[in-house]
Amino acid sequence: MATLANILDRFATPKAFEQTAPRARVLEEVDPFEIPPFPNEDVYFYVKRIDNARVLRESDPAARRVCWRLIGTSFAIAVVVIGLLLPTLYGLIAGYRMEALRQERQRLDLDRASLELAEAKLLSPARLEELARIQQFIDPAPQKVVYLDNKLEQKLAQR
Amino acid sequence: MDKLATRRVYMLARLAFVWALLIVGRLIQLQIVQHAEYQRLAQQQQEKIVELQAPRGAIVDRLGQRLAMSLPVESVCVDPLKVPDRAVAADILSKILDIDAHDLLRNLQWAVDNRRGFLWVKRKVTPEEAARLRDLKVEWIEFRTESQRFYPNKKLAAHVIGGVDFAEKGNGGVEQSLNQELQGLDGEMRVISDVQKRGFDAKVASEPQAGQEIRLTLDSRIQFVAERELKKAIEEHHSKSGSIIAMNPKTGDILALANYPTYDPNELPTGGDLAARENLAVSAPIEPGSVFKVITLSAALETTRLRPETIINCGNGSIKLFGRTIHDHNSYASLSMEDVLARSSNIGAINIGLTVGQNKMYEYLRRFGFGKRTGVPLPGESSGMVRPLKRWEKTSIGSVAMGHEVGVTTLQLAQACSVIANGGFLVKPRLTLDTPIAQPMRVLKPETAFTMRRMMEGVMIKPYGTGHKYARLLEYTSAGKTGTAQIYNYRTHQYTHMYNASFMGFAPVTNPAIVVVVTVNGTEGTSGYGGPTSGPAFRAVAAAALRMLDVPKDLPEAVPSGAGDQADQNDVAIADLGSSIPPPLVQAGDAVAADDRPVASANSALDQRTFLAKGVTEPSHDLAGPRVPNFQGKMMRDVIEQSAALGMPVEFTGSGVARGQFPEPGAILPLGQSIRVQFGR
Repeated sequence: MATLANILDRFATPKAFEQTAPRARVLEEVDPFEIPPFPNEDVYFYVKRIDNARVLRESDPAARRVCWRLIGTSFAIAVVVIGLLLPTLYGLIAGYRMEALRQERQRLDLDRASLELAEAKLLSPARLEELARIQQFIDPAPQKVVYLDNKLEQKLAQR
Repeated sequence: MDKLATRRVYMLARLAFVWALLIVGRLIQLQIVQHAEYQRLAQQQQEKIVELQAPRGAIVDRLGQRLAMSLPVESVCVDPLKVPDRAVAADILSKILDIDAHDLLRNLQWAVDNRRGFLWVKRKVTPEEAARLRDLKVEWIEFRTESQRFYPNKKLAAHVIGGVDFAEKGNGGVEQSLNQELQGLDGEMRVISDVQKRGFDAKVASEPQAGQEIRLTLDSRIQFVAERELKKAIEEHHSKSGSIIAMNPKTGDILALANYPTYDPNELPTGGDLAARENLAVSAPIEPGSVFKVITLSAALETTRLRPETIINCGNGSIKLFGRTIHDHNSYASLSMEDVLARSSNIGAINIGLTVGQNKMYEYLRRFGFGKRTGVPLPGESSGMVRPLKRWEKTSIGSVAMGHEVGVTTLQLAQACSVIANGGFLVKPRLTLDTPIAQPMRVLKPETAFTMRRMMEGVMIKPYGTGHKYARLLEYTSAGKTGTAQIYNYRTHQYTHMYNASFMGFAPVTNPAIVVVVTVNGTEGTSGYGGPTSGPAFRAVAAAALRMLDVPKDLPEAVPSGAGDQADQNDVAIADLGSSIPPPLVQAGDAVAADDRPVASANSALDQRTFLAKGVTEPSHDLAGPRVPNFQGKMMRDVIEQSAALGMPVEFTGSGVARGQFPEPGAILPLGQSIRVQFGR
C-alpha cells in the first residue's frame, strides 16, 4: 500500500528494501493422490474479542503540563503578535479617517469661501443702496447713527 | 521506537528544513536584495503627489469688506485616447458645458491623430456643470482644480484693485503692483493610497504658503458715493471722463479713488475697453487751472509780505505780460488777496505770482509734491509735468500762477490740498494699511497753512465765492477752491472751448478730517465751470464721508425757513444786474482760465449797500423809527459798517456770514433796542 511511510522507507531504507526478498509463491510438487487444498486454506483468521471496557488511560501529569504549556505559549505569542500589530492597524484606520477629514476640511474651506463671497456680494454698497431706495430709507444725519458692538453686555440703543 | 519510524521522522524533518531554507532564501532575496526595486514599485503604485495649491491673498477694504478673493474651481479635461465615441462625447460635453460641439470634436480628433492623452475641454466651470459631469460617472472625463478670482462688488474700486489674467497673475492696479505678496507658494503632499485609491496616509513634502491678504485704506462706502457722484456729474454735464479722490489729510490714507469711465474686473479685457481701464486719477495729468492759485498764494504768504488783506491790482480785467495780453473773466480794479482767491481772479493771481518770482514759485511747486510720483502702489503713475526752471519762458510765471503750463494728477492735487488741511505737512498718500505712515515733511509754516485755510473757507462762505453756491456744506465748515482750465489741443496748438472742471477742498475747517478733489474732463459752457460741475460732487462726497467717519458737526442746525429764501433771493439779486450796478464784463476767448460764474463787480461797500437795498421788503407803517436793513449773507465787517452808518446798535453771535436777524428786515427798530444778528459758516 502506498503510504507516506512506505515512500519514506523507499528513500530511507533502500538496502532493507532490497534485502527483503519478494514473496514468491513456490509451487510444490503436486501429489496426485493428495486431495487438493481448499482455496485460501492456508489463510487463517479468527475473531478475538477484546473487551477494553476496563482499560483506562493512565493519567500522565507531565504530558498534561506540556499540553497546557503549549496552549499557554501559543496564546501568549498570539496576544503579543496581535499587540504588536494593533498600533499599525489603528494607524491604518486613523490614516483613512485623517484623509477623510482632510478632504472634508477642504470641502468646508471651499464652502466657507463660497459663503464669504456670497456675503460680500450681499453687503455690496450698490445692493444696499438699491434696497434703501426701494424701502425709501434716507441717509441719517451726522452723529445720529448708533453702532452696535458684538459684546453680549451691550444693549441696543434706540432713538 | 521503531527504527523505520525514526528514520521517517528524520527524513520529514530534513525536507521541512530544506523547505524552510528555500522560503527564507526567497524572503532574503525579496526583502533585502531587491528591496529598493520593490519599494520603488510600491511607491509608484501607492503614492501619488498632490499639489497643494496656495490660495491667492484676498484684497479687503479698511473695514474688512472683501473686494477680491479667490476660490478653487474645477476645470474639465479628457483623455482623448480613451474616449470611445468622439462624436457622442462632443455632443454630451457641449450640451452640459455650453461650448461649441464642432470645435470640441475637431480638437478631439486632432488630439487622437497626434496621440495626445490630455485635452482641456473647458477651464473653470461652475459647480453645477461639474456636478452634472460627475453624475455621468464616465472614466475618461477628469477634473483638475484651479483657482478663480472673484470681485464681488463688480465695478467698485476697479481701478485700484485691478484684475488678473487667466493664470491669476495681476495685470492692473494693486493686483499687479503687489502680485508678489498676493500670490502664494504652492506646496506638495505625498498621499499613500490603497488599491481602491483611497488615501490612508499623507506626508506634506512642502507646506503651501498662502498669499498675503492686502488691506486697502479705501472705505467701500465712501468709494461707492464717490463713484456715484462722479458718474452723475459726468452724465449731467455730458463730459468725457473724470476722477474723484478722497483722502485723510493727516495720515495720507486714500479713502476713495474713483474714475469714470470704469469697468468690471470680473470680465476679461477686450480691445474696446482699454480706455476705461486707465487709472486717470494717477496716470493722466491735466492743467489744473485756478485750483493752482492755492499754491501761488501759499508761496506768497511764505516768501513775500503779502497778507490776506493786501490789496492786489487786478488791472480792470487785463494785463500785459511780456507782450502777451491776458484777460480776466470778470473785470476788477483791485481785490484783497483773499478775494483774489474767492473770486478767482487770474490777473490778481498773476500779480501775486510775479511778486513771488519764478525761483520761489518753482521751489514751492516742488515742495507741494508736483513733478514727482507720490509712490502709491499703482502701476502707471505719472509724475505730472513741471518744466525745469531753466526752460521757463518769461510768461511762464504768469501761466503757472494761474494753473497752466503745469500738468498735475488728481492724486497730486489731493496731496497738495492736504498740506493746507493738516497744518503744513506733505504727507505721502497711502493705499494699503500695511504701509507704514511715512514721516511727513514740513512744507509750510503752520500760520501759513491756517491762513490759507481761512482764505479757502472764504471761497465757500462769501456770497461771491466761487464755491459758495455749489460746494458749501451745510452741517460742516468747509474750504476749497474751484478750477476751470481750458483744454489745450496739441494738434492744433490752440486752447479749445472745453474745460477741465475741478474742485479741491476739505472739511471741517478747524480740524480737517477729509480732503476731496474732483476733476471732470471735457465740459462745455458756463455750466461746465468748476463750481457747478465739480462743486456738487465735492459736497455730496464730503458730507457722506464725514457722516460715515462720524465726524462731529461744527455748524449749528439749519437756519429757520425764510432766511434761506432770502439767501436765494440775494444770490439771484447778485446775478440780477440792476441799472445801478455796472454789468459784468464778459471777456471772450483768450487762452485764460475761465472764472466760475459772472459776478457783479462789487469792489466797494457802497455798491453792496445799493445792491442790498434792492432786496429790502416793503416797510411796515405801524411804528415810527428806523427801518432794519437786511443783513442776510453779509460778512461781519460789512454788517458793522452798515449798522454804524445807519446808527443802529447791533449784537452779534457766531462767526462767518449773517444767517438770521431780529428784528426782521424792514421792521421798525424800537428805541433803545439793538439788532441781533446770528452769524454762521
